Amino acid sequence: MKVIVSRSGGMAGIRLTWEVRVEEQPDPATWADFLNSLPWDDVTDSEATPDRFAYRIRCAPHEVVIAEPQVNGPWRDLVNRVRAANGM
Amino acid sequence: MDNPQISPGLHPNCTIVPPYLLVRLAKLDDPRFAQAAAAARASLLRDSQIRQLRGGTHPFAYSGARTLPARTPGQSDRTISDAGGQERLPGRRVRAEGQPAGSDPAVNEAYDGLGATQNLFWTQYGRDSIDGAGLPMDATVHYGKEYDNAFWDGERMVFGDGDGQVFNRFTISSSVIGHELTHGITQFTANLQYQDQSGALNESISDVFGALVEQHAQTQSTDEASWLIGEGLFTDQVEGVALRSMKAPGTAYNDDVLGKDPQPGSMADYVETEEDNGGVHLNSGIPNRAFYLVAEAVGGNAWETPGRIWYDTLTGTGLRRDSDFAAFAAATTETAARLYGSGGTAHDAVLRAWATVGVLTGSE
Ligand SMILES: [Zn+2]
Repeated sequence: MKVIVSRSGGMAGIRLTWEVRVEEQPDPATWADFLNSLPWDDVTDSEATPDRFAYRIRCAPHEVVIAEPQVNGPWRDLVNRVRAANGM
Repeated sequence: MDNPQISPGLHPNCTIVPPYLLVRLAKLDDPRFAQAAAAARASLLRDSQIRQLRGGTHPFAYSGARTLPARTPGQSDRTISDAGGQERLPGRRVRAEGQPAGSDPAVNEAYDGLGATQNLFWTQYGRDSIDGAGLPMDATVHYGKEYDNAFWDGERMVFGDGDGQVFNRFTISSSVIGHELTHGITQFTANLQYQDQSGALNESISDVFGALVEQHAQTQSTDEASWLIGEGLFTDQVEGVALRSMKAPGTAYNDDVLGKDPQPGSMADYVETEEDNGGVHLNSGIPNRAFYLVAEAVGGNAWETPGRIWYDTLTGTGLRRDSDFAAFAAATTETAARLYGSGGTAHDAVLRAWATVGVLTGSE
């Protein structure tokens, strides 16, 4: 099981991708529970606004694209956790 | 008091006609008011306010009574706030118009960059601030923690400090500040949809005027200018000179971590992608290069003839929200012919530029 967070856009237009392989983490069960608890089906499209980031989050079978202003709550938590696991 | 420059009610010395009044004047059929109505219509068209007011969907559409600003037209009205590393806006007010520089370079750069942007648009194109009617310019610095971005949120410009590893603070480049403020101007005028080709045009217009803000402030002719967007934004750990090159898209950086600058410079290399709203920051390289080619052909100061053509196109009636590259090319060509004569140097330069980047064909 893995989760991939890809951030595109921003004023710089530079894409960065962070990936976490759940089974390689020190706490894989916590990761799996957290990933399963995310509101995957509740993500709705929002109008694009200049220079904000767009986050594409993939964790098979799920894939969502969330505009930066909507990356709140558990999604914010996810992005922070994935970045932290990648050391940035 | 939030806006010391704005007085309550109608100010007797005000010389600015508010847009809602222009609309009323423009609608008057009474022949006694014909001249005023015609002038009002012209003024409306000049600032492209009429589309927003007609549509009624604009977030800042004027509704009924408004206070009039007691200010000299063209006088900037800047307020810089400090988010203190939080992602909350606007943050704490740290510098208002006319206050002296302090010790925080981000505050000083934001203040000066907004001033340089107002200076370009007012002195060269007669545009008074973002809305063409003296809208106060608000910016927030120190947004977020190690935040690698700058953006226009519909009301204000927001600048992050960068992470210090890849990016320096985003106020470091006046082309970035001009870029963000131009997003505001586009919102109030052509309001190009931020998706696919119209989105790449929206981006390109911000790069064009961002570059012109810098060139105008430093009095650089086309020959002398770098044509870079975001010069100095990368730390010295990055192999790259800037975010984008308008003169040579795709050459701004080539780095182990970031990869190579992916911008195309012609339609042959147009990037089809779902990311970044259809690659708006990538495909903007194509119209960016077209603008550079016009400037190169015309020579001299790019904010003059080339900038005027782009500005008049942006604020005129020839664009739709979903205009694509071809529509924009046709509109700039028409503007160049109207302003500088059909078959003249400028008109010819615009036609050739769009042909060179592969947007127009058979235009020779
Ligand atoms: Zn932009």
